[in-house]
Amino acid sequence: MKFRGAEAIVETIEWNGQTVISKMRNKRGYRHPALEKRLVVERLRSESRIMERLISQGVPVPAIFSVNTSDNSIFMEFIEGQTLERALRGKDFKKHLIQTAHLLSRIHSLNVVHGDPTTSNFLVNDKIYAIDFGLSSISDDDEDRASDLRVFLESLDSHHSEINGRNIFLEAYSTGASKSVLEALKVLELRGRYNLMRG
Amino acid sequence: MSEIILGIESTAHTAGVGIITSEGKILSNQRSVYIPDKGEGIHPREAANHHSEKFPILFKSALEEANLSPKDITLVSYARGPGLGPCLRTGATAARAFAYAHNIPFLGVNHCVAHLEIGLLEGATDPVLLYLSGANTQVIAYADGRYRVFGETIDIGIGNGLDKFAREAGMGFPGGPKLEKIAEGDELIDLPYSVKGMDLAFSGLMTAAKQKVDSGYSLPSVAYSVQETAFAMSCEVSERALAHTGKTELVLGGGVACNSRLREMAMTMAEERGVKCFVPERALCVDNGVMIGWLGYQMMAANYEIKDEDNMVNQKYRTDMVEVTWR
Repeated sequence: MKFRGAEAIVETIEWNGQTVISKMRNKRGYRHPALEKRLVVERLRSESRIMERLISQGVPVPAIFSVNTSDNSIFMEFIEGQTLERALRGKDFKKHLIQTAHLLSRIHSLNVVHGDPTTSNFLVNDKIYAIDFGLSSISDDDEDRASDLRVFLESLDSHHSEINGRNIFLEAYSTGASKSVLEALKVLELRGRYNLMRG
Repeated sequence: MSEIILGIESTAHTAGVGIITSEGKILSNQRSVYIPDKGEGIHPREAANHHSEKFPILFKSALEEANLSPKDITLVSYARGPGLGPCLRTGATAARAFAYAHNIPFLGVNHCVAHLEIGLLEGATDPVLLYLSGANTQVIAYADGRYRVFGETIDIGIGNGLDKFAREAGMGFPGGPKLEKIAEGDELIDLPYSVKGMDLAFSGLMTAAKQKVDSGYSLPSVAYSVQETAFAMSCEVSERALAHTGKTELVLGGGVACNSRLREMAMTMAEERGVKCFVPERALCVDNGVMIGWLGYQMMAANYEIKDEDNMVNQKYRTDMVEVTWR
């Protein structure tokens, strides 16, 4: 498997006798070298630190095997399964949505915001795993959490407008999290740019 | 039979009248830009006054350039939004007056969608549009019957940000092109790089840039760093949208897409990614009547039925409110 993501090449490789995922942040020629260096180091560091934090708390994310600053790559656990994006097209979509909401709420409760929790960034097998923490950060700010919710709801809207998952997701999310995040989401969506975006 | 469409643009500072044929041949692209006094931004009423003064001249010169008379025009199309209310109403009034006087059908179209559709004239078929202008900063692509906004600014438009920074640094309107001219350097000054998923934020960047100037950095080097940072952010989100949607074409649009450094960066990104990059000529990137006419024709050619509401201006006419029936 080889996938060219937005900022990294993600592929399966053989490493110490097992199949692992290698995520290598390759160079972006359009970016100023100094900016490129700053971003790559910042993101590599923050991604591995945040994943370690979640792993140590038992949150389902891929285990990290190795962080290599020489070529800006991370080796991590290869998780079998289909993306949530695909899984939501099946009949169990409700269950998946609820589990994903619980997972995101748990991640937030550990003061981590994912940064890009689209439906392509969750994997479904026996449970749901969150992947790609490339844009994640440490934050306990309700607005940052609400911003995560908005990214998720927007990707639901653009890829799965038929299942109307918004309410199912938000209800499941709010059983774990404080209501203040939903309030922050309301405020966020009321800001001019979003208030006409539904539909 | 070939149709001849007259398009009218007046969403912000530009009054434009363009004439284009149903084959996509551009017969005229007349524009007049309202320039506010130094140190000021666009005043909507003043801009509208400018447009109402210029429209008669623009109509006349467009028809002259195309060597046509009003009876040769088969469709009138105008931008009904999004934009500044007084400016939109002026364009709508001009469209109605011309269409009624010469008994030509007319309709109002979405300005942002027109920026994308004119990119298709360059040969793109199903692109991601990086649309960078004063008020609008969006990454748009087609999905399920609409042009969806995959990412956009969560505070100010990139062009407004550049203009505001330039204005505070003592330069006139429009600030973006003036910054481009003076931008110089190869050392990058550290500025906030704000990408959230596929969304962007510019206000922090512009404030930080102003502070750098105040604390003694030279204006050319700050201008250079602002461009490098803001455009890299824009390229990154469009790359994210390309990865997310799996599309293989990128189109640039909007006034800021005239910037040579941005064009260069977007083309580098596209090349590294193996996608095709389409960059309309500058006169079609900025606000213009040609793209408005072209979109109107696309819609009518697909048997679009004009509804009453299509002929009312709408300041908040968002990209994803348009039902795309012509693809």
